[in-house]
Amino acid sequence: MTEAKQQAKDGNLEQRTVITGRTIGLITAALILFGGIALISDTFLSGYTMFVLSRQIAFFTIIALAQAVCLVVGGMNLSVGAIGSICTVTLGLALAKAGLSGWIAVPLTLLCGGLAGLANGLLIVKLRIDSFIVTLSMMFIFMGLRSGISGGQPYAVPQSFCFVGQHGVLGIPYVFLIMLAVLGIASYIYRNTVFGRRMLATGGNEDAARLSGISNDNMIMGANVLSGLLAAIAAILWASELGSAAPETGDSWLIVTFAVAIIGGTGLKGGVISPYGILMGGIIYTLIRHGLIEMKANPYYMNVYIGVLILLTIAVDRIRESYSNRQ
Amino acid sequence: MHPELVSGSRDLALGNMPSMLELKNISKAFPGVKALDDVSVTFNPGEIHALVGENGAGKSTLMKIITGIYQPDSGNVSYDGKPLHFGSYRDSLKAGIDIVHQEIQVIPESTVAESIMIDKLITMGPTGIIRWDKVNAAAQEFMHMVELNIPPNTLIKSLSAAQKRLTQIARALAGNAHVILLDEPTGTLTKHETDNLFRILRDLKSRGVTMVFVSHKFEEVFALCDRATVLRDGQAIGTHKIVDLDTNKLIAMMIGREFTEAHLGRVNVNRDRVVLEANALTRKGKIHDASFELHEGEILGFYGLVGAGRTELARLIIGEDKSDSGNLSINGAPARIRNIGDSLYKYGIGYVTENRKEEGLFLEDTVRSNISVAIWPRLRHWLTRCINQRQEDSICHDTVISMSIKTPGLNQRMENLSGGNQQKISVGKWLAANCNILIIDEPTIGVDVGAKDQIHRLVRDLAETQRKAVILISSDMPEIIKLANRILVFRDGHIVGEVDDVDNPEKGYKDISHAIGAYLR
Repeated sequence: MTEAKQQAKDGNLEQRTVITGRTIGLITAALILFGGIALISDTFLSGYTMFVLSRQIAFFTIIALAQAVCLVVGGMNLSVGAIGSICTVTLGLALAKAGLSGWIAVPLTLLCGGLAGLANGLLIVKLRIDSFIVTLSMMFIFMGLRSGISGGQPYAVPQSFCFVGQHGVLGIPYVFLIMLAVLGIASYIYRNTVFGRRMLATGGNEDAARLSGISNDNMIMGANVLSGLLAAIAAILWASELGSAAPETGDSWLIVTFAVAIIGGTGLKGGVISPYGILMGGIIYTLIRHGLIEMKANPYYMNVYIGVLILLTIAVDRIRESYSNRQ
Repeated sequence: MHPELVSGSRDLALGNMPSMLELKNISKAFPGVKALDDVSVTFNPGEIHALVGENGAGKSTLMKIITGIYQPDSGNVSYDGKPLHFGSYRDSLKAGIDIVHQEIQVIPESTVAESIMIDKLITMGPTGIIRWDKVNAAAQEFMHMVELNIPPNTLIKSLSAAQKRLTQIARALAGNAHVILLDEPTGTLTKHETDNLFRILRDLKSRGVTMVFVSHKFEEVFALCDRATVLRDGQAIGTHKIVDLDTNKLIAMMIGREFTEAHLGRVNVNRDRVVLEANALTRKGKIHDASFELHEGEILGFYGLVGAGRTELARLIIGEDKSDSGNLSINGAPARIRNIGDSLYKYGIGYVTENRKEEGLFLEDTVRSNISVAIWPRLRHWLTRCINQRQEDSICHDTVISMSIKTPGLNQRMENLSGGNQQKISVGKWLAANCNILIIDEPTIGVDVGAKDQIHRLVRDLAETQRKAVILISSDMPEIIKLANRILVFRDGHIVGEVDDVDNPEKGYKDISHAIGAYLR
């Protein structure tokens, strides 16, 4: 963003930034990627591809948000995928073993995710242990429980449960619409509610937040519960999309959550989140994966490109930062 | 601007002595600002040369150019007649120029000797294995030069602020620095510690070390320095011998207009309204048996060394630390404060911390959030739980206007504001929250003279017009005498004296010194 624009924006006391200059940069990058893939592929611009890709985007965005809400308060959640997997098992047990309807199974699964997050939060706050260590240990605990309870076997879910995951309206998957709603709520929380803004304050400067009468402990616990809930939502949507509750759900989430959250502009130091930036991160991540498939890149090397992408994003951010600091 | 002031009387270098460090026609621009504009200064060998100017005048840019952190756009730096081209700070160290930064930069877990010898750790041959006995012995020599009489293997984290400062100077000496730049070296030091530091600096001067001294405190410039160069808006306004200057001249050069130190007079205190009463508050090892009353419209000064118990007592009052015994009553009723939320939302106590940047502000957040952080719950809609943004903006806007905070808008990132404006926001936050009791800890650290005066007026206005009860914690004696109605003097965790009549500055100094006893002799 140019300085003049920045000044014009700041000059207006009422205006609050929702879409930052960084998000605009991400949108540009996504458009370039989109155009590029459209040029090299004949099948890309089909309704079917768009449907499949937007479901992926929705999924990646939600799990990245689950990571970002913890990053915002200056922590992290390494157990985000593990929570997803015990939520999947809970869902599978409720639907397949107990034969409950989706209307009961889904709230139960959300409860499971929330409780798992609460457990993380309580351990971090009450025992004053670093979130890295707590969530690393909890990752093993959740994964162990998952394997022990399920024995590794997927649970079948009823066809009616798959409606949300496999259908859409006007070519837009319901999953994508749900993701937009989740983002909208998250954005509202961080901009408009005391809880959201206090979480940002805690992440921005824990000491200053405490001296401003904010209970950092409550904010950290709240963020972890939120993270667990989001992981549960992702697990439910994934099961609905897949048509079965597969216990290995969540095993590949961790790296993706960091990648998308970081590309989306979530500050690793805390205090900064941009829900719409994370959506752009999800889109870019999905497009790059898809683009590599279209280019027939060796899939075994896929992670190399993703790693380079993350480094590149951070490097660009650092350059932007040092440039704006010098101003 | 005044071109005649810029081009004229720039340098009154003393005759034909060999100049050690010479800056010629230095210019440096950053996008949007000309930080330095054709600045020429000569630093003579073995002089203490003051660099004064308001925040943003270009002092720090100049220091960064001298130490190679920035490269000038044009102009050159020469040392002993030889031109210098520093690519980095290490180059300047090699040339014998070092800087002691304003923020004390030390490694808490290392020893004093290690910190001093960090660039010259003595190893067993080329093995990289450190000979600590030799390192300690070598460090001792430099510790002796700065009169740091502690064991060389003392951990840095256990030192006082003054001792850390001396460690930094010793490190510069160990690096064989002939020119030492001192950026606000007296920061939180008390008068006694400052006097001691000055004595050591004069001793170094007599050994031929050149020092560049940056300070906002004029009495220090006059007490210590030989010459002073004034910077204003990136230009060198003039270099003069200290004997040719006085405070008014210096300030006039700095801010470009005449300025008279305002005597603020006494605030009318309502002694019948006891707002806060502490009764034998104790936290073991920190503060013992602290009892005092605070009245409506009063500015109560807490004076003492860093660590004497002033801030420690404040932290007990706001519930940041727990007291072991004693009690507190607010507005006549016993108060139970378990955490800062209680002190803020139940009793209306606001605490402006001394560490503005570390624990006072959200530097990467907006001006808006920094002002409104303590009032969000009040602005919450009962049903939607959302913050009334229009009301929030209007309160923030009012605060910006009433405190004349200079910011392009509420969306401005906090770190882009000057120190003075940041400080106004740290106070304004509590006013927006309608606090009736304000505890203000070292309010003018690192702010320039213009902002300092504004903050003094602001503190006074809090008590006089807004009838707040103010506790002012300060180690700046002129400041506390200028502002406070009453001064409590702290030493070693005890309140050792109360100075009631501070109308007469002379008497104020004497009374405080008397109370603090042996420490000032």
